[in-house]
Amino acid sequence: MLQPKKTKFRRQQKGRMKGNSMRGNQLAFGSFGIKSLESAWLTGRQIEAARQAVTRYMKREGQIWIKIFPDKPVTKKPAEVRMGKGKGAPEYFVARVTPGRILFEAEGVPLEIAKEAMRLAAQKLPVTTKFVVRRDYVEEK
Amino acid sequence: MKSVSLSGSPRENVGKKDAKKHRREGNVPCVLYGGKEQVHFIIPEKALTKVIFTPNTYLIDLNVDGKEYKAILQDIQYHPVTDKILHIDFLQVFDDKPVMLSVPLRYTGTSKGILKGGRLLRKYRKLRIKGLIKDLPDEIVVDITNLNIGDSIKINELKHENIEFLDTPTSVAVAIKSQRVIVEETVEEEEEGEGEAAEEGGESTTEENKEKE
Repeated sequence: MLQPKKTKFRRQQKGRMKGNSMRGNQLAFGSFGIKSLESAWLTGRQIEAARQAVTRYMKREGQIWIKIFPDKPVTKKPAEVRMGKGKGAPEYFVARVTPGRILFEAEGVPLEIAKEAMRLAAQKLPVTTKFVVRRDYVEEK
Repeated sequence: MKSVSLSGSPRENVGKKDAKKHRREGNVPCVLYGGKEQVHFIIPEKALTKVIFTPNTYLIDLNVDGKEYKAILQDIQYHPVTDKILHIDFLQVFDDKPVMLSVPLRYTGTSKGILKGGRLLRKYRKLRIKGLIKDLPDEIVVDITNLNIGDSIKINELKHENIEFLDTPTSVAVAIKSQRVIVEETVEEEEEGEGEAAEEGGESTTEENKEKE
């Protein structure tokens, strides 16, 4: 599961997300990808589930790129604990995703296979996505 | 080099409001620079599909308000969510001034390595080159017939008259790698020797390992 090796601070404040993705919004490596249409926090587990779905459908053919990294720690207080007494313990890591962000990219498989693999990946994610293809893509015979 | 002609009409005003108005009407605000003066104009979005949704690189004959310019596509801005074309930069080119642009890399022939079961590894779709307009090719063609498994062609091994390759000279442009499947097949053959029951057991454990990963 994706998470940082070490962090400078154990806990972070919530923060706010606004606007569209100003970087990472175009395909950089592969010919196909999925683009987020909403803003959300994607947990390391969700990203890993989506990655497994893609790898299994593509039968380990081709190559995939994960374009997001969960680097934001999220804390949680234990059950049945009264409010106060400080911030809870870090529970998991999330990636901040804003509309337009490319989440996964794929290469080396036919268009139809990539499309289905990305559909399966999108099902594991809490955001609506769209399938994108490189503008100069030409199907190889 | 292949050329495409596009015609645009000049923008009377520049600025956000004007640009938004043009986008609503189905036009794309553009700018042409590199010459004596900057030219702001608009081009219908539909006319741009032939130069954008293609792997080829074109020399563009621009006609703005009766004036002719030769240009290349320098930069395209897209909307982050809808991927609509927001703005285009054209760079004016002159016959005596070298230009830098990206041209597609194409492979010919069937490699010996691929016939033996290797996999073609393409590192570049386009190569950045520099040269005079008259010398620029439509595409860079690489013959891969003599490439065996493990062989590669680097950028500095590519030769073309009067043009300079701008990508890192030591980086690999194309290589033939051995397929991962070949390794798996040899493993399966070994398992077959041990008997069917052992083979079934082996497969299930590999699946379990995959899930653990």
